[in-house]
Amino acid sequence: MEEGRAERRRRTEAPSHTQGGPRRAGVMTDVHRRFLQLLMTHGVLEEWDVRRLQKHCYRVHDRTAAVEELEDFINNINSVLESLYIEIKKGATEDDGRPVYALVNLATTSVSKMASDFAENELDLFRKALELIIDSETGFASSTNILNLVDQLKGKKMRKKEAEQVLQKFVQNKWLIEKEGEFTLHSRAILEMEQYIRETYPDAVKICNICHSLLIQGQSCETCGIRMHLPCVAKYFQSNSEPRCPHCNDYWPHEIPVFDPEKEREAATSRATKRSLRSRQH
Amino acid sequence: GDMLQKPRSRGRPNSQAERERDWGRGAAEEAPSTSRGAGSSQEARSASSQGSRRAEASPEVGPRSQQQLELKVAELVQFLLIKDQKKIPIKRTDILKHVIGDYKDIFPDLLKLAAERLEYVFGYKLVELEPKSNTYILINTLEPVEEDAEVRGDQGTPTTGLLMIVLGLIFMKGNTIKETEVWDFLRRLGVYPTKKHLVFGDPKKLITEEFVRQRYLEYRRIPHTDPVDYELQWGPRTNLETSKMKVLKFVAKVHNQDPKDWPAQYCEALADEEARARPETSGPAPSS
Repeated sequence: MEEGRAERRRRTEAPSHTQGGPRRAGVMTDVHRRFLQLLMTHGVLEEWDVRRLQKHCYRVHDRTAAVEELEDFINNINSVLESLYIEIKKGATEDDGRPVYALVNLATTSVSKMASDFAENELDLFRKALELIIDSETGFASSTNILNLVDQLKGKKMRKKEAEQVLQKFVQNKWLIEKEGEFTLHSRAILEMEQYIRETYPDAVKICNICHSLLIQGQSCETCGIRMHLPCVAKYFQSNSEPRCPHCNDYWPHEIPVFDPEKEREAATSRATKRSLRSRQH
Repeated sequence: GDMLQKPRSRGRPNSQAERERDWGRGAAEEAPSTSRGAGSSQEARSASSQGSRRAEASPEVGPRSQQQLELKVAELVQFLLIKDQKKIPIKRTDILKHVIGDYKDIFPDLLKLAAERLEYVFGYKLVELEPKSNTYILINTLEPVEEDAEVRGDQGTPTTGLLMIVLGLIFMKGNTIKETEVWDFLRRLGVYPTKKHLVFGDPKKLITEEFVRQRYLEYRRIPHTDPVDYELQWGPRTNLETSKMKVLKFVAKVHNQDPKDWPAQYCEALADEEARARPETSGPAPSS
């Protein structure tokens, strides 16, 4: 429900004064500033990494202080960031529900960070891939289908070979994820562009029935069509031997994923480079 | 209710044409924002968009709401942060063109507010590269710490080492050095102008182009030299980001000695420290 929370905060807490002094809540110290500076060097960061970063900042500036609970720490910073129309947004990876954080821009088209790193034709390639991903049933767009659109790109002419490299650049910069020749959105892109996507593709966009956030990958009810993220499915149908669609009550036809929080922590601390999906059991 | 227009300006175009136009540009280029009031000459392109523009964008250059001003400052902060990431000094003309737009009349105030937010929130100080240059950079008010490297998302600047060495060379040689002398020294460290380096890539390009573009170094041809030689000096950014004393300390550390072991340079560094300690004559955002 992160999206709902952020929405509510924006609407009800309209500031009545301009910049200058500290906001009614939240005071920035060097701990927070270093945290923000270093957080900004990441496009997106997993929660355990965020905690590590937070501890580092305390160690540098305020050894004696107790490390504030992460959620409060971030809310504190967000209350200061509000007037700048940016926010540290929390989300989750769509394939296995790992909590992730990104500093996102709330006010303008969320491609601003991308816009400064890529050329016009590269951005257009991303847009084409994005549209294919959103329109797809699985949340994935094949490399072939994306590359076939290379002739339609704005800006300097791009050959397919070049486009392949640009797609890899997107993967390296965490805008896309590649799986077996198909591409989907990285959690970074989902966090940063959720608003943009919802407003630009209101008809094609898919929303999770449970958390109401943007959905790219997930499961859908074959009867009524509602969709849910895999982690949302796991949570909703936890230890339910007869999973039924929350909307139409029909039997839920898909395998219910199980995400083991202990294994998550182990994998995180061992800094595995690739995560495999958890074994699924009924 | 998520699809309804929110009170805050979101700058979201609805039509296909707008979607396509705004995609290629982000906040760094043409932020769909309050800058495009009716007075702007950019209107011809987006005539149809005016109707669908947010209610907050004022139809003419008149009184602006608190929210509009706040949004404008926010855009400016974003722009400065993104531009500075590339370490290229930010030109005032670019700021005016890509962010300020119709708010030109209050540009000094907007810049001042943005500078305040940058410092309070992020710990970055907005400074003019040189007086009257109308270009700006961000200086970090927080001291970098070695352990930062472990929690960063980028490589920081792995080339910083090379820059520091060159800055040290320049200072120790009396604030100016010939390029040939630089390579004579660097060769001993396994860094060559013509050979690709594992960490630095193309050291010649790094030193004579990139560091110069970032204003850390000045690179000038020495007239009447044959073969042609160049001289290297500190650039304006170096004087803002570091100091003679800091560089001397770095050199001393490398040699495992004390800064005072170089009395001439130590004196010079001390004098520089004293000059810096005197109160500044201008604030972060110049008034002109």
